[in-house]
This record gives sequence, C-alpha cells and structure tokens, in this order.
Amino acid sequence: MESADAGAGEKAACLSAAQRRAEIRRRKLLMNSEDRMNRIVGYTKNESEINAGTLLRPAEPRFHLDLDRTEPWSSASSSSRPSPFLPEASGLVSRSHGATPERGGSPMPDCSEPLAGFLEDNIGSIQQRPRGERASDELSGSPRPGLQKYLSRFDDAMKLRGQLANEKPAQDGGGSDTEEFDPFRIFRLTGSILLAVFVRVFVCTFLSIFAPFLTLELAYMGLSKYFPKVEKKAQTTVLTAALLLSGIPAEVINRSMDTYRRMSDVFADLCVYFFTFILSHEFLLLIGSETP
Amino acid sequence: MASGYAWFLVLGSVFLCNLMKTLLPTISSCLSKMVQKDAEQESEMRAEIQEMKKEQASISMMDEFARYARLERKINKMTDKLKTHVKSRTAQQAKMKWVVNIVFYILQAALMISLIWKYYSDPVTVVPSKWIAPVERLVAFPTGVAGGVGITCWLVVCNKVVSLGLHAFCIGPGQSEGEFLPLLQAVILAEQL
Repeated sequence: MESADAGAGEKAACLSAAQRRAEIRRRKLLMNSEDRMNRIVGYTKNESEINAGTLLRPAEPRFHLDLDRTEPWSSASSSSRPSPFLPEASGLVSRSHGATPERGGSPMPDCSEPLAGFLEDNIGSIQQRPRGERASDELSGSPRPGLQKYLSRFDDAMKLRGQLANEKPAQDGGGSDTEEFDPFRIFRLTGSILLAVFVRVFVCTFLSIFAPFLTLELAYMGLSKYFPKVEKKAQTTVLTAALLLSGIPAEVINRSMDTYRRMSDVFADLCVYFFTFILSHEFLLLIGSETP
Repeated sequence: MASGYAWFLVLGSVFLCNLMKTLLPTISSCLSKMVQKDAEQESEMRAEIQEMKKEQASISMMDEFARYARLERKINKMTDKLKTHVKSRTAQQAKMKWVVNIVFYILQAALMISLIWKYYSDPVTVVPSKWIAPVERLVAFPTGVAGGVGITCWLVVCNKVVSLGLHAFCIGPGQSEGEFLPLLQAVILAEQL
C-alpha cells in the first residue's frame, strides 16, 4: 500500500517534471513562432521595448500566470503584452506552468482537473481576447494596422494610377484648359461685360470702378443657388494623386479645389470686367477724337 | 507717355500667341506629313495585307494547307514590317511635335520679353487714377505712372480674356462634331443592315 503510494507519488513527480519540460519546450516553440511572425510582418519597433520591458521587469512573467482568470484579457495584456502575436496556448502554458508550482505536491488525479479547468478558463479568455487584443494593438502600435494601412495606401495608389491613365486621353483631347461654360458661368461673364460698359459710361467719374464689381460678385454669390448646379467630375490629376497618397484627406483636397475654382471664377470675371472697361474707354476716346 | 495703340499691339500679340497654341497640333501634323516621304508605302502595305487576308479566307486550310501556311507567313511578315513602319512614323511625329512646341514657346517667350522691354516704363494706356483706386499702384506696375495700366497687368488680363474667348469658340464646333459623329455612325450602320 505504502509502496504503491510512494510509486504514485514518484510518478506524479516525474510527470510533473516531464510536464514541466514539455511546457518549457512548448513555450520555446511558441516564443519562436511569435518572433517569426514579428519578423514576417516587419515588427521591429517594439523589440527594444520588449527588451526594456523584460529587463525592467524580470520577475514579471511574459506570459500571464493568472490562474483564477475571470477578468478580461486586456488588463493583463496591457501590462505584459508588447506583441499581438502571443498565442492563446501561451496562456495555457503559463497557467499550467504557474499551476504546477502551487500544486506541486498534488497527486496525479488532481493534475488532470486543473488542466481541464485551465482549458475552460482559456476558452473564456480566448473569447475575451479580441477586446484585449484590440487594446493591445492600440496601445503598443502593432504591425497589423501598419500593414493594413500600407496595403490600403497601395490599393489607393493603384486605383489612382488607373484613373490617371483613363483620364489622360480625355484631358489630351480636351486640351489643357479645363474650363467649362455652364449657364451660370456665361451669365457671370455677360454680367461683367455689361457692367463694365455701364460703369464706363455713367459711373466711373463718381467712384472707383472696382466698387461696382465687388457688388456684382456679391450678387453672384447670392444668385448662384438659383442656377442649375453642374456636377463637375472630380478630375484626378498628378497633384491630387500626390496629395492623396501623402495622407491629406480627400475631403480637404476637394474643398481646397472647390475654393480654388471659385477664386479662379472671380479672377476671370475681374479680367473680363477690366478688359471691357479699358476697351470701352479706348473706343469712347476714339469716337471722341473723331467727332469734330 | 503711352503711345496711342500700345494696348492694341499687346492684345494682338497675345491673341496671335494663343491662336498659334491652339493650332500647334495641326501645324505639327502637317509638318510631319511634309517631312515623311514614304507615307504611301504604308497604305500600300495595308492594302497588300488586306488582299492577302481575302485570299487566305478563300482558301480551305484542310485542302491547301501549304498554301494557307505560306500566305499566313507572308501576312505575318508584312504585318511586322507595317508595325515597324508605323512605330517609326509615330516616333517621328512625336519628335516633330516636340520640336514645334519648343520653337513656339521660345518665340512666345521672346515676344513677351520684347513687349515688356518696350513698355517697361510706358503704360499701355492711361486713365484717371481715381477710377482704378485703390489698386492703382498694382495696375501701373512697373511704370509707376499714376493712372497708367502697366504691361504686366495688361498682359495677364489679355491672356485670360483671349484664352476664354478662344475656348468658347473652340468648344462650339467641337460640341457639334461630337454630336454629329455618333449620328453618322448610326446612319452608316443602318445602311449596312
């Protein structure tokens, strides 16, 4: 009876030692897989942090050793999870490793129970893992978002390249001047011409010629909503493509282009107005010089 | 002081430059046609390939395979020759276009510089300075004459107006052609059916 008990105890001790060795081997493999994954993704940013972390906290285990795990993973991961590629089994390994010292003297039947318990705990922790993993990713700046960002930028670049290639023949056919004569634009130019003539004939002796022009532009701003809005196709030029790829949001670019378009419209109105004014002035001088 | 028609001279120069700019593709294609001497050879090759293809279509591959294969080889050889010819012609056209553009831009720059040199200190026209307040200094740059319109301001204004005008005139006929061509194609298709 006693010999049987002693044999069982030795077996348990051997098993625990063997188990320990197996766990150590498994941990080594898992650690390597993590390093491998990090190298594939190009995760070298936090290597120094990991080293610093391990140096600063040598006592704190890299793998979480919480046996009675009920809280979510994130609280543990925030403290000791620099890499997102910590496998779930490491929890199991750490737990079983952590468990064995505490229950070092327990007989064999008891060892199986904690393992089953660890499995159940791990299932719960795995389910809770995504939240924790996300938090760890956010906190530690994992390579996955960086990789995704790079891939999304690459896709954008390929799409823009295709768009540029498609729009280039259209632009070449239309010429470099991309101004379009929609009804409102024609109305503006006609209004500027008529106002210039009117100002030259009646108004210019009393005040500056630019005052009526400014009034006209203010009126145009109010009248623009009464005209049908022409949907101008957003042209992808090399400049807009470069701005997009450099990280400037498309909305900002569109707004800037819209502002630039408005300013160019006002400039065109001013040029037409001034030109017509000078022309009418010279014409009146010519008539005045010719009349006896 | 300003000469009588300086403003008109500048306007005319700008108009001429912009007109030449719009006609540049036509000029370069005309010049390249004049320079190319073997343009007929290409059309002959195309006609020959068409005839050989017709002949090949009339031959049964099963019955006269050797003749079919010989024709096929001839067609391929002629097509390759035509491709090389077209490539060289296209390269020559691109070169001609490039040369024409360079010459034009040099001439335009020379004309603009000469105009600015001539009217650097003379305004192109003079108006009472209170009319163009408060930007009379900007408008008069670089002459410094009160109420004068400087060459730079007038060049910018003329350039903008002329480009707008030419664009409006160019768009009109272009639009009508754009509507006409699909109609013509539809008519041709209907006749064929």
